[in-house]
Amino acid sequence: MRLLSLETISDPARLAPVRHAVEAFCASCGFDEKAVGEIGLSVNEAMANVIRHAYSGQTDRPMRVDAEFQGDLLEIKIRDWGNGKDPSRVPPKQDLLIPGGLGLHCLRSLMDDIIFEPQPDGMLLTLKRKKR
Amino acid sequence: MDLKTATDLVPAARTEGDALILTVHGEIDMHNSPVLRTEILDLVGKHLPRKLVLNLTDVGYMDSSACAVLVQALRRMRELGGKIYLTGLQPRVKGILEIQRLVSIFNVVKDEAEALNSVA
Repeated sequence: MRLLSLETISDPARLAPVRHAVEAFCASCGFDEKAVGEIGLSVNEAMANVIRHAYSGQTDRPMRVDAEFQGDLLEIKIRDWGNGKDPSRVPPKQDLLIPGGLGLHCLRSLMDDIIFEPQPDGMLLTLKRKKR
Repeated sequence: MDLKTATDLVPAARTEGDALILTVHGEIDMHNSPVLRTEILDLVGKHLPRKLVLNLTDVGYMDSSACAVLVQALRRMRELGGKIYLTGLQPRVKGILEIQRLVSIFNVVKDEAEALNSVA
């Protein structure tokens, strides 16, 4: 089993370092370059959604990213202590030219499974991807 | 004509006839996409081109906020009656545009020359 654990804050400047760390972790687990990029993008999009929606743009709130790889399954858990809004209740985007909603679409397209679990004090998002 | 730019995200910009050609550089995400948006829209507003060519050869990564900047640029160009062209798409950039079904709404060209030679 391989593990990665990162504590960060909701500052957009932290997105790239976290993404790079997750990508390096995925590469070390044997994911190919395309998958590494897709998983990194998914984590980026999930965190960006937390900043934008759960934390309404505040840049000093906590976030935690835990990744676990066992067998052929990668699970990444993203925890926030925000307003608990469930983005999975947002209907899919219809008009590509109206801004917004693209991040969740990325998650749904790139990960094998995404699970939003409301917490008493925020949200836990689990992203799953099998190594092919 | 070479133009001055206000950000390292757009290290080079020039006009050629009715075209505005911008070279974009770096990894674009939520942190710096607002800066890119401002730069692109400012330059378009100043020069009112019929063609906006974005050379993305040196863009290794874009997230959905960066895609939204491209969409905003597209909308602005449509308001001006012009077109936007993307060139130099790296695999990750092409990938996210495909996932978001945006490739079909942009003119993706082989290089800047193809954009400049096309009819706006």
